[in-house]
Amino acid sequence: MFKSLRYVLKENFTNLFRIYSIAKYELLADMRDSKLGLFWNFANPTIQVLTYWLVFGIIMTGRSEQDGIPYICWLLGGIVVWFYVSPCITNGCNAIYSKVNVITKMKFPVSILPATVILKELFNHLCLMVVLVILFLFFGFYPNIHWLGLIYYLFCASMFAISLSMITSVLNMLARDTRKLILACMRLLMYLTPIVWAPSKLSKHRLLSVLMQFNPIDYIVQGYRDCFFYHQGIASFGTQIIIFWVITFVLLICGSYMMYKFKHKFIDLI
Amino acid sequence: MNQEYAIEFKHVSKIYSLKSKDKKHTNDKRFYALKDINFKIPQGEVVGVLGTNGSGKSTMSVILAGISEVDEGEMIVNGEQALIAINTGLNMQLTGMENIELKGALLGLSKKRIEEIKQGVIDFAEIGDFLYQPVKKYSSGMKSRLGFSINLCLDPDILIVDEALSVGDKGFAQKCLNKMTELKDNGKTIVFISHTLAQVREFCDTAMWIEGGMLKEYGEVDEVCDHYAEYVDYYNGLSNADKKKERDDKFEKRLLVNHKVSLFDRIFHL
Repeated sequence: MFKSLRYVLKENFTNLFRIYSIAKYELLADMRDSKLGLFWNFANPTIQVLTYWLVFGIIMTGRSEQDGIPYICWLLGGIVVWFYVSPCITNGCNAIYSKVNVITKMKFPVSILPATVILKELFNHLCLMVVLVILFLFFGFYPNIHWLGLIYYLFCASMFAISLSMITSVLNMLARDTRKLILACMRLLMYLTPIVWAPSKLSKHRLLSVLMQFNPIDYIVQGYRDCFFYHQGIASFGTQIIIFWVITFVLLICGSYMMYKFKHKFIDLI
Repeated sequence: MNQEYAIEFKHVSKIYSLKSKDKKHTNDKRFYALKDINFKIPQGEVVGVLGTNGSGKSTMSVILAGISEVDEGEMIVNGEQALIAINTGLNMQLTGMENIELKGALLGLSKKRIEEIKQGVIDFAEIGDFLYQPVKKYSSGMKSRLGFSINLCLDPDILIVDEALSVGDKGFAQKCLNKMTELKDNGKTIVFISHTLAQVREFCDTAMWIEGGMLKEYGEVDEVCDHYAEYVDYYNGLSNADKKKERDDKFEKRLLVNHKVSLFDRIFHL
């Protein structure tokens, strides 16, 4: 078990430049594909943000506030996490399969592929964050020391996404149904997580609110909101921190084990 | 381990499973892609691999390159091996220059090393001003030249060349052969997989003839080439019915029937 974890970590850390290059040139190729290139990396999140602002800020003004924060800001502060994690999960499970022509033609450290996908999405996420911060400035939320916590939560989200992708990308090689299943479940996962609704809604259902602690995405969403608005600090989550890291670590170990076990078998699985 | 040998095969077999015609049959047939192959390639030797279509040459090349694992037997490799894969990893949207950087990174070169080889690749590929055009605008010959040049600038101990020279014009093939001769003089071991008898005769010291997944002959290049040419002539001279019979005989020998496959095996040892 730990042998495989060590193997995967070593492979990832010795190939940092490879990970960076693959992510960089994939992004570049995406940009070259369109005439406006980098513009879309900013325009796409802007339009997304505008959509939510239009719907929740202007049309559905019934819920104008959440804990004294304009609902639109509160919503966006949480949904950015989803905009990051969701493509990480869906593209992450395709990480190996989309590189089949490379891994069958050269000796290639397969276990770095999930990291390349997440790095690529990270860039898009940072573009979105820039747009978001500008919007927050308009609403009167100014950057302060608590925003530094975002770096920690970004790290959490990335680690979780990489660990999960290790498993799903291998499973997707064994059976392509994995990706279809994941795509079908994504919307469900979004509404199961308190992103558009407040977690306080669950306070009446003790069991549900305990179960929600086991949702890693919930932890990251709450963390982002805490950094933006509530300023309770990283330590205020108590057991949820431990639960999150235990889940992530277990996923990472399982993922590494599968990567290690199948490292030479991928070519026969196509 | 004997250091004099670059590659040593000990009873190597590679097995693929075949789906049976009617789906109800639970025990699939299994098929020897390579069957009980034994040979030793001394260091610094240039070996040509001959064989008709479907005889297991490509399987052999991926096994030699360490991409695929053997199912039975053992392969011992002394040194770093690399498979020359021409069009792999080229991104159509990126320019030639960016592709050199990307493919270099894919092959695991450091940033410094890529800078070093850049000029060599550019000179060798002879693509001139097209270097700053996206690869999608390249002719197929140009693409191959670029891909091949990047591969040749690697510095492995053992080179595996699979049908690489069948693309591009005569002049370029000659240039590649010259470059490989240079590598040969530097003491590299080269496995040269080709259909072109003339190239094998000219370039290789020894030759290996694989037929029906089995090693038929391994020895002096002229001898093996003569025998192989004789066989091809004999096979082409057969009537269609005889050809089919010959093929079926060969196929029959490679089958592994009545092999019970448990559910666990089906999932994990595909």
